[in-house]
Amino acid sequence: MSSNPESSSRVDPSIVPLMRSLALELVIYGPIVTIYFFLVLHRTNNWLTNIFNASSTEYAIVAVLLIGGQGVMLEMFTSWLLRRIGLRH
Amino acid sequence: MWFPISQVTISPLLLATIGFVIGVLGGFFGVGGGFLAGPMMFWTGVPINFVVGTDLAHMTGNSIVGSRRHRALGHVDLRLGALMILGTIPGVEAGAQLIEWLESIGNIEEVVGLSYVVILTTIGLFTAWESLRAIRIKRTDQLEIREVLGIQSMSHRSRLLRIPPMVKLPVSGIEEISIWTIIFAGALTGLLAGFLGVGGGFLRLPLLIYLIGVPTHVAVGTDLFEIMISAGFGTLSHALKGNVDVLIALTMNIGAAIGAHVGAVTTRYFSGPIIRFLFSFLPLIAAVLVLLRITG
Repeated sequence: MSSNPESSSRVDPSIVPLMRSLALELVIYGPIVTIYFFLVLHRTNNWLTNIFNASSTEYAIVAVLLIGGQGVMLEMFTSWLLRRIGLRH
Repeated sequence: MWFPISQVTISPLLLATIGFVIGVLGGFFGVGGGFLAGPMMFWTGVPINFVVGTDLAHMTGNSIVGSRRHRALGHVDLRLGALMILGTIPGVEAGAQLIEWLESIGNIEEVVGLSYVVILTTIGLFTAWESLRAIRIKRTDQLEIREVLGIQSMSHRSRLLRIPPMVKLPVSGIEEISIWTIIFAGALTGLLAGFLGVGGGFLRLPLLIYLIGVPTHVAVGTDLFEIMISAGFGTLSHALKGNVDVLIALTMNIGAAIGAHVGAVTTRYFSGPIIRFLFSFLPLIAAVLVLLRITG
């Protein structure tokens, strides 16, 4: 048997504030990302298709940058949302 | 909605929902979720040549969110992750070369499939057995700590290998370990991932826990960090070959972002043995899926 002393000092917080935070986050997050989808992603469709047909190198770079950029942005947004609504996980 | 790159019409809500489910699994277990996302994408109508590349692109975005969240929780060992990469990359290449060599001497689809089933079943059963043992120890000894291992001998033996240079991993609570043990673990998971054609999340997580001795929560976060880098390389490679529909991946990531967030935060409410016990079902499900594909 082994144990991790570093972890032992942390006490698991109550599940109730977590569920409340996540539910509220989903309620706010859902409409905002829907707007984002129709305003931004939907409109990039033609632009991305043109790059895909024109140059595979350019398309590959744009794809990785978009995936990375959106990942960082969405993570920052969800964290900001939690701080903004004053609930902590 | 029409996705002109892969020439397919799919509901964006369905894609975001699939992304959410995979995101929760990824954030909680530290896996890319390719074994579920791939079949689900195929089921929605994505052409097979776009499934693997788009899945990798989605995995990259998913693991970025998951690893950033885990890092905020102190669950990512960057030093360990960076050292493992040194072994993972040549390991993946060696695995891919092995596949090519086997292909040149005959039809190996069934051989690879059966290897996959045996490896995944072994991992699943071993993790289930160990975690249940750890849960029993935790209950019997009334331990209040989050991390208990049912077996210790593997990580102890790996620490006996004292070939320099040695490295300290404070985030993982490891005083000293040979850099070669970490590179070997990375190479082994890379080899299996390259050979089996998977991301390797559910191969790496048990090795991090049992061979290197990393606490489960840190293993989950570090595994996601590794997936972020390896899936990122895979995305670039597949996009160059025209096998990535980035708009499908971006739409799935909208759901995955919140899912990964939920999964990562939820790990705080479970002890290491419980996470490992729940994790043990994933390789078993994947093994059944592969077995069905081989026999079907």
